[in-house]
Amino acid sequence: MTIVLEARDLSKTYGDVQAVDHVNLTVEEGALFGLLGPNGSGKTTMIKMLTGQTRPTGGSATVLGIDALSNPVGVRERVGIIPEQETPPSFLTAMEYLQFVGAVRKLPDIETKADWWFEFLDFSDKKNVLCKDLSRGTRQKLMFTQAFIHEPALALIDEPLINFDPIMQDLVKDYLADYVKKKKTIFISTHILEVAEEICSGFAILHKGKLLHTGPVADLKARDEHLPAFFLSLVRKDRHA
Amino acid sequence: MLELFIAMMKEEWRVHSTMFGSLSFALFPVMIFGIAFMGSFLVPLMQTTMPAGNLTIILHSSYLMLGIMVGAFGLLGNEVMNRRFGQASFLAYSARSLPLSETILFSNFVVKDTVYYFFLWVLPFGGGYLVAAPFTGVPVARALLLLLTLTLSFLFGLCTVFLLSTVYARSHALFWLLLLAIAAGWAGLSLATGTNPALFFPPLLLYSAFSWLNLLASCVVLAILFGVAIALFNPESVGSEKSYRNAFAPLVKRLAFLKNPPLAAKDTIDLYRSGSMVGQTVFSFILPLAVIWFFLSLLGPFFPPHGLLFIFAITAGVIASTMYTWVTMFDNFGPYACLPVAVSTLISGKLTTFALLQLIPAAFIAAVAILAGEAAYLVPAVVLGLSISFYAVGIMAWLCGLSPNVMVYDVKVLFIYLVLVGIALTAFTAIAFANPLYALGSVVLLIPAVWFVRKAKVRWDAVDPEGF
Repeated sequence: MTIVLEARDLSKTYGDVQAVDHVNLTVEEGALFGLLGPNGSGKTTMIKMLTGQTRPTGGSATVLGIDALSNPVGVRERVGIIPEQETPPSFLTAMEYLQFVGAVRKLPDIETKADWWFEFLDFSDKKNVLCKDLSRGTRQKLMFTQAFIHEPALALIDEPLINFDPIMQDLVKDYLADYVKKKKTIFISTHILEVAEEICSGFAILHKGKLLHTGPVADLKARDEHLPAFFLSLVRKDRHA
Repeated sequence: MLELFIAMMKEEWRVHSTMFGSLSFALFPVMIFGIAFMGSFLVPLMQTTMPAGNLTIILHSSYLMLGIMVGAFGLLGNEVMNRRFGQASFLAYSARSLPLSETILFSNFVVKDTVYYFFLWVLPFGGGYLVAAPFTGVPVARALLLLLTLTLSFLFGLCTVFLLSTVYARSHALFWLLLLAIAAGWAGLSLATGTNPALFFPPLLLYSAFSWLNLLASCVVLAILFGVAIALFNPESVGSEKSYRNAFAPLVKRLAFLKNPPLAAKDTIDLYRSGSMVGQTVFSFILPLAVIWFFLSLLGPFFPPHGLLFIFAITAGVIASTMYTWVTMFDNFGPYACLPVAVSTLISGKLTTFALLQLIPAAFIAAVAILAGEAAYLVPAVVLGLSISFYAVGIMAWLCGLSPNVMVYDVKVLFIYLVLVGIALTAFTAIAFANPLYALGSVVLLIPAVWFVRKAKVRWDAVDPEGF
């Protein structure tokens, strides 16, 4: 199997805080990989380093064969990203924002692509509304669209379902499951363990910046273990260590 | 209420000190103090060529202009609170969940900003002059009075523009009517008395002849201006949805001749739809320059022939360079972090939009040249103004990247900016005074401007694109 994402001894320090501590991680093509961890465990920093949004203080990261440290723009050209806080620009409408994304990514026929997404995520009525006036859920739809509109080989998503209603969550989960069947890869960061257990093929647990565990979800299922219970016991043990 | 104000003050301090260190921020007023202190020793020298009264006019007009430039709070409504520091301004966000009205929140924000500007700019400058007074032979009482009247000048500028901008936000027609009435009033006063109306500016009157009654009257006028502005302030209604016809795609086509059409189109739409294009032009460019023109016209006899036009062009160039802050105030790197865009590309994009905006100062300087009967020197004046503007913005981009509004308070940044811009201003003032046509030579400033922009791109690509 081809490795699409690899972190070697990846570390990040903010002042005295060790946000990510020598993490080694690999993700294979076609995986729907979940990075799990409590609040403040370093998940968002990991995604930021993997996508070249922030520089590691140690180690290296290779994404789709590109060095994230020396060529961050190259990485962002190839991947799709949904950041932790969805922030489409204020004074563009939803359609204009997608046109902007299309122009930056040099995508042909952006309006047809955008229209498909407006229909699919059921927000066609908002396409001419200013981004700053959109509800949280609709902004999340827009950010989801911009991350997938160029059909990237790898998408990195920070909390993919957090602002969606149950119907939309169901739709998006199905979309993600279908997406990886096309030999594409998805890397999600979440602390909603039930969702991770339901949709992920592989997972890693991060706590206080350290990697506690990584492996396939199938291994847990074979042992008749559930991801939430496994996660809680591991994190609690580390907390008392 | 008081707790919120104190918390906002603390937050403002922490945002700045987190960006470039407590010491660098704390030293900012110290540097202003130092400049004023050392400058005070030049006053006796200046007085050999220029009456003391005219120096006072320059000082008061500078502080009036500072007030005018920072006072347009009403223009952006609640957006101003969000835009200052985005989500880092946690209080502006979270306080809305408290049982406080939008007006109280906004009032706290405006007062906090005013107090901050006072401690960063007004007090250190007046303080420097005051401390130097015993050495320069200026009576301490006079220095104290200057501190008071400079404060009043700043507050007059701030409160007047705060009121005008809140009126503008409610009704453009009413704003223009009010502006017309003020202009007519000043013109009437000028015609009736045969004196430049700038001389009737209350802080100047107070400085030339102090009286408690005049001071009280000034304070009452300020309180009324501020109170009416707060009362008229129109908080943006939550939940309203504004729809627009697609302007992005046509604009990208129209700007296809530029280097970064999508980025320039996005910034232009931001400026237009936020109301900043017209509002900022009026409040942060035309009004300050109109005031400067008023006051500079009093100093005409002390300049060489045509000197007034070129001093004005240089001032317009410096103010025009601050248009870079207009195009960087809407977003930081955040919205672009998920796209294949480097910080250097964004700096390029912002500078492209900035270059488009330079049509405004070019037209303004040209209009002033024609109105002043100096049409023969229109081209050198425009070239000088724009060259200064591009040179200053190159330095700004190098020193501040995408955050000029915040980084200006880093004492190192301000010092380097003042030195580099000051050298060019001094040199080209002298050159233009020697021969107005030599002002055309200012075009050489474009060489260091391009060099600084290149350095800016390398510098800001090399650091984490985080912060504001």
